[in-house]
Amino acid sequence: MGRLFVVNLEGKVYSCKHCKIHLALVDDIVSKSFQSRHGKAYLFSKVVNVSAGEKEDRMMMTGLHTVVDIFCIGCGSIVGWKYEFAHEKGQKYKEGKSVLERFKVSGPDGSHYWVSHETHGGSDADDV
Amino acid sequence: MGGVGDDEPASKRMKLSSEELRHLSNGSTLKEPIVRSTRDLMARPLQSEGGEEVFGPKGIIKKVEFVRIIAKALFSLGYVKSGAHLEEESGIALHSSLVNVFMKQILEGDWEGSVVTLNNIGLTDEMTIKSACFLILEQKYFEFLDEEKVTDALKTLRTEISPLCINDSRVRELSLFIVSPSRCFSVQSPKQDTSRARSRTKLLEELQKLLPPTVMVPERRLEHLVEQALVLQRDACMFHNSLYKEISLYADHQCARDQIPSYALQILQVHTDEIWSLQFSHNGKYLASSSNDCSTIIWEVDANGVSLKHKLSGHQKPLSSVSWSPNDHQLLTCGVEEVVRRWDVSSGECLHVYKKAGLGMVSCGWSPDGNWIFSGVNDKSISMWELDGKELECWKGQRTLKISDLEITSDGKHIISICRETAILLLDREAKVERFIEEDQTITSFSLSRDNRFLLVNLLNQEIHLWSIEGDLKLVSKYRGHKRTRLIIKSCFGGLKEAFIASGSEDSLVYIWHRGTGELIEALPGHSGAVNCVSWSPANPHMLASASDDRTIRIWGLNKPSTKKKDTHSNGIHHCNGST
Repeated sequence: MGRLFVVNLEGKVYSCKHCKIHLALVDDIVSKSFQSRHGKAYLFSKVVNVSAGEKEDRMMMTGLHTVVDIFCIGCGSIVGWKYEFAHEKGQKYKEGKSVLERFKVSGPDGSHYWVSHETHGGSDADDV
Repeated sequence: MGGVGDDEPASKRMKLSSEELRHLSNGSTLKEPIVRSTRDLMARPLQSEGGEEVFGPKGIIKKVEFVRIIAKALFSLGYVKSGAHLEEESGIALHSSLVNVFMKQILEGDWEGSVVTLNNIGLTDEMTIKSACFLILEQKYFEFLDEEKVTDALKTLRTEISPLCINDSRVRELSLFIVSPSRCFSVQSPKQDTSRARSRTKLLEELQKLLPPTVMVPERRLEHLVEQALVLQRDACMFHNSLYKEISLYADHQCARDQIPSYALQILQVHTDEIWSLQFSHNGKYLASSSNDCSTIIWEVDANGVSLKHKLSGHQKPLSSVSWSPNDHQLLTCGVEEVVRRWDVSSGECLHVYKKAGLGMVSCGWSPDGNWIFSGVNDKSISMWELDGKELECWKGQRTLKISDLEITSDGKHIISICRETAILLLDREAKVERFIEEDQTITSFSLSRDNRFLLVNLLNQEIHLWSIEGDLKLVSKYRGHKRTRLIIKSCFGGLKEAFIASGSEDSLVYIWHRGTGELIEALPGHSGAVNCVSWSPANPHMLASASDDRTIRIWGLNKPSTKKKDTHSNGIHHCNGST
């Protein structure tokens, strides 16, 4: 797969559950009130070592957004999504920021998150 | 003639002789200015708004100026009769009669007369008059000295040069010449490195530069204008890659694509895993490739092509980079966060292993005299070693990253490495000065031009930026088109005068841009995996090498149906799998 270009973060880091590549810093968490198909998700101002999929318009809990899915460059597993464009004015703050699913990452202490049984069908949130 | 927009009736146009017509149709490409202006020489000159007669299809050439520089060129070529005839026929004199007198006086050494004429020529700027007088009297002074007429020289200095009240420091220098004529090699004035007077022709040239061009037409002005146009055409030529392509005056210069290496002449298939690094030696006689298979291969380049010379094994980790010694006799290789090894190129022997307890090396480079080696370390420092392994210096702190390249300029002064996610450090190790190239995006790799004046920086967002690093750091160009989302992809300079940029890409194509215009000129298919690195031969502008995740190296060249070898496949590509 070539020589991976890996950014190494310093501080408390969330890493990919499978291949341990750094993804984001605890300090860069914007909100912990997001949700994905697998449960809890966090919004980060900056995420590294991911590659992006195709742009898609998705109807989320807070409205229509243009997003790209993001994949860990080490193992290719999907780890969340990035907001490219928010159609609603109140959701503009999300643009350029990325969501990581808690289920897909190891916490700074190495902890994992197990999918809760009452997973919702919808993704997104922060405000209602 | 199919001209555009010229409505003049045929009777007004003079007939061109058949020979002239032949010259016009020979090589003309109907690019407007060149072809039409030859025809327009016969046309009636237009009148510009300013009242001065203009010439040429765009009406921006002043006729008087044009005739004068042609006359000047004729005289320079030695065609004195033609020059004089042109002056007569056009009624336009190259120089006014006063200027002709002035020039004669200078060449004859009539200093007093020339100063008088100078004041009568009608110059408006007093500073120019004084400076010209200074030059003339300086010549007078030196000629006196040469003739050993010291009192006369002194008198000139005191009563004629000094009262001008300009260039006092030079006056002081001049007085020193009297005191110690033999010892005077003036450091401050490079044009006067002996105490003898220069020739009067040289003085005339200096005066020509000083006086306004309307008074005295500068030397070689027409040649300068023509060369300027030719250079502009050559620099705009996107495929210009051969030394012997002459530029003709008859048509605007434009090479065809055939000088850009775009045919896979050889596929080298020996590595057993992805190839991450590729580098031609400085003399272009060797190629080094290093791989995820923990080995480095030295290939030999000669008239028959590229063949395997040595396979260097010893590293326990995949190789991150290689570096040729300045004389190409030795090679450094670096394992990913492992050790640096130094190898002898002709024997293939490992001469030394450089390591640091508890740490791993990330990059390697040579000092220009070949006596020291540098390496980046995974604790962000950069170390410098003597060849025998003694560590001489260590720059601690945030100097380099684990994925960074390392370059040392050929004057040995600057160490270059990526020190932060978005910054490259240029460390002047003598002056202990640090400069930084700051980018908005994450930097993934970089490459130094052979003349050390430019840096090619690869970014996370798939852009390649060209920076000028001589003097002020300036972003010069951007190149786009290739693909990079996950890997370290390397790019390089190459071709004649490094006029091209080449890069690998994750879509398995090799990308080539014209450096000056930024235009993408080639995207070469062939590899079946991401192309990680490219290297353009410094000795052969027509040879480009690329290496890929598909474990092969491709040697790209021009489409020449040259030497056909026994083991060539029917598609003409020569495969080398290392067996002899």
